[in-house]
Amino acid sequence: MIYSKTAGIIFSNSNDKALKEFTANRSMASLPFAGRYRLIDFAISNLVNAGIQNVGVITNRNYNSLLDHLGSGLFWDLDRKSGGLSIVPPFIGGNSKTDDELDCILRAIEYIKRRNCEYVVACESGFVANLDIKKIVEAHIEKKADVTLVYREAERPDKFAGTLKLKVDKDEKVASAENALLSKTGGKLTIGVHVFTRSAFNDILSTALNSENPAISEIISEKTGKYRVYGYEHKGFVGVIDSRKSYFETGMELLDKEVRDDLFNKERPIYTKTKDDMPTRYGLYSDVSNSIIADGCIIDGTVKNSVLFRGVRVKRGAVVENCILMQGVEVRENSTLKYVTSDKNAVIGGKAPITGTNRKAFIVKKNQVLTD
Amino acid sequence: MKNKQCVAMLLAGGQGSRLGVLTGKLAKPAVPYGGKYRIIDFPLSNCIHSGIDTVGILTQYKPLELNDYIGSGKPWDLDRSNGGVHILAPYQGKEGGDWYKGTANAIYQNLGFIKRYNPECVLILSGDHIYKMDYSKMIEFHKQSGADCTISVMEVPLDEASRFGIMHVASDDRITKFEEKPKEPKSNLASMGVYVFSFNMLEKYLSEDENNQNSSNDFGKDIIPAMLKAGEKLVAYRFSDYWKDVGTVDSLWEANLDLLNPKIHLNLSDPKWKIYSRTSELPPQYIGKTAKVENSLITAGCDIAGNIDYSIIFENVTVEQGATVEYSVIMPGAVIKKGATVRYSIVAQNTVVGEGATVGEEPDYNDAHEWGITVVGEGVKVKNNAVIGAKQMLRKEEDGETV
Repeated sequence: MIYSKTAGIIFSNSNDKALKEFTANRSMASLPFAGRYRLIDFAISNLVNAGIQNVGVITNRNYNSLLDHLGSGLFWDLDRKSGGLSIVPPFIGGNSKTDDELDCILRAIEYIKRRNCEYVVACESGFVANLDIKKIVEAHIEKKADVTLVYREAERPDKFAGTLKLKVDKDEKVASAENALLSKTGGKLTIGVHVFTRSAFNDILSTALNSENPAISEIISEKTGKYRVYGYEHKGFVGVIDSRKSYFETGMELLDKEVRDDLFNKERPIYTKTKDDMPTRYGLYSDVSNSIIADGCIIDGTVKNSVLFRGVRVKRGAVVENCILMQGVEVRENSTLKYVTSDKNAVIGGKAPITGTNRKAFIVKKNQVLTD
Repeated sequence: MKNKQCVAMLLAGGQGSRLGVLTGKLAKPAVPYGGKYRIIDFPLSNCIHSGIDTVGILTQYKPLELNDYIGSGKPWDLDRSNGGVHILAPYQGKEGGDWYKGTANAIYQNLGFIKRYNPECVLILSGDHIYKMDYSKMIEFHKQSGADCTISVMEVPLDEASRFGIMHVASDDRITKFEEKPKEPKSNLASMGVYVFSFNMLEKYLSEDENNQNSSNDFGKDIIPAMLKAGEKLVAYRFSDYWKDVGTVDSLWEANLDLLNPKIHLNLSDPKWKIYSRTSELPPQYIGKTAKVENSLITAGCDIAGNIDYSIIFENVTVEQGATVEYSVIMPGAVIKKGATVRYSIVAQNTVVGEGATVGEEPDYNDAHEWGITVVGEGVKVKNNAVIGAKQMLRKEEDGETV
């Protein structure tokens, strides 16, 4: 069994800085997405759907909400006697590093040291995709690769520091891997999912640990000649959440059936913590169209082109258009919201409409009360 | 085993024959209810919220799906190292074994299970009622009143009383007489099928009943009358919140639509008393551009492009453009094709209602006897443009799948 020989690693704080509005009190990995998920659900589900039973989550800041979400790993079937989900938080003392990124790399090395695995799938946070990791690891083995970088074809580069722009030959062998931020044009861009052979993992991460710039992507880029580095194209949907603008846009892309069918592939379900909400209740005055609605909502107003998370309440006469409203948001009677992204449990309403624009959604903070 | 104050025994072996095609493949307690629940979620959730963590579930009829659904009991927080949920099916011993002959016999055969926990009292529940009840209050009442058996009752309209087991009580609510479905009821206190027995009394009367060759081994028909006759102390515990027996097609349909009635207080979203259920992993529902949804409950995995009014839609249901669903209950995985109309119906799991088909009819008040809820059984495929009238019940045939 190949998959008992593969371990997964998730860096939960990578790219936190891209989305300060929503990561002040949480890590990128625990960012709510698609009505009932957190970003990490996609990474863990991808690994679990490939049969991987050892998943280490490296945390370093603001990981309260993440721990609360993950629990024992039960919802991903990772509450196991042997292996399963391991949270790898920072610790003080020993050989821990004061620099956050270095410390994460150190802990990733230590975590893998204790696993009996031949391959490592390392995932950054900030991307959303339903990946067939089984196929990717199989390709890695078949090509006798040291490193396999999953990439997408994109028109323009994202804003993440670790993204690499690849040049590959016919056999997908990587000829060069450059920092994508240095390039203004798109192309074959990595999506933060790398497969390593154990020795290459140790070698690359140890090199990072001792280098001035500890980024893993940087070391891969430098060592492309030394290792057998391959690319693997993911042709399905990839959501990139590197700014508040892209958070909004990626959320809205879910209204496209093709995107939903790809992301919520029936063969590879996305698992998340269940909350036992009741079904969503539509009232006598509800008027809903082209929207994603999670369970536990109570809707008695108008909702169009929007994504509503669990337990959102839209009161009678309220109008919600082109909005993303996270868990527990309440929209008061007769208020109007257009192009609003609201964090959890906010109360929004008033006589004047609250409107953002297509390019810049209006942001409401967690627990904010915005009424007149 | 650590001693438990109270052990719950849930009678889940009934065939539920009055639900017709809905219980063709599964036991009544496993029948879907309320958009994402099964009937058995209610007593199980009540147990855990009432502090009862040891529950025996007595199964007999078509237990496969029910066993699967219960699993380790995790969704109800009943996966415990001490106590927890246990499926109790009939078994063979040295002296042979037998099917459960009646409700009392089912408990009698599992006295050994109860004894392991040495409880003060035993709570007997059934798997065909929708209600939220704090059993701990009833158990406290049982202890305070010094009763041997406490039976929860609720007042029903006198003209409906003949459908229930009816209690006669003295002024102190001590039970004086019990009548099973009396033709001319003289009391309106109906038994809810929830009993608390002091364990020693339960053991005594179950053993005596077992030795009585003429007994039908039923709590209502045999055990309660025997205890009354012997002068034991039986007390009624009054309950006045929502409670509904969902043993028939009409009552199951009604109990579902009750969730949409603002005058009926069955709050499933109370954070202190959530109804837990085993859910499958599904993305949120999508309400499409052409959809019109009013006064309904809809849950995860649904894709709605048609018109929904006054209905309960379970997970993974597809309602295509131009289709209409009114006053109906659509169970998991059903597909209502373009232009089809479903009214006053229960459509069971994984059925397909073909394009332009019509299922069910509005009530005809001139001919009330002929009218009734239409039921499309599990896995049935209703052909395009077919017309299925009121009160019909469609069953999936072994050979042909379409109707």
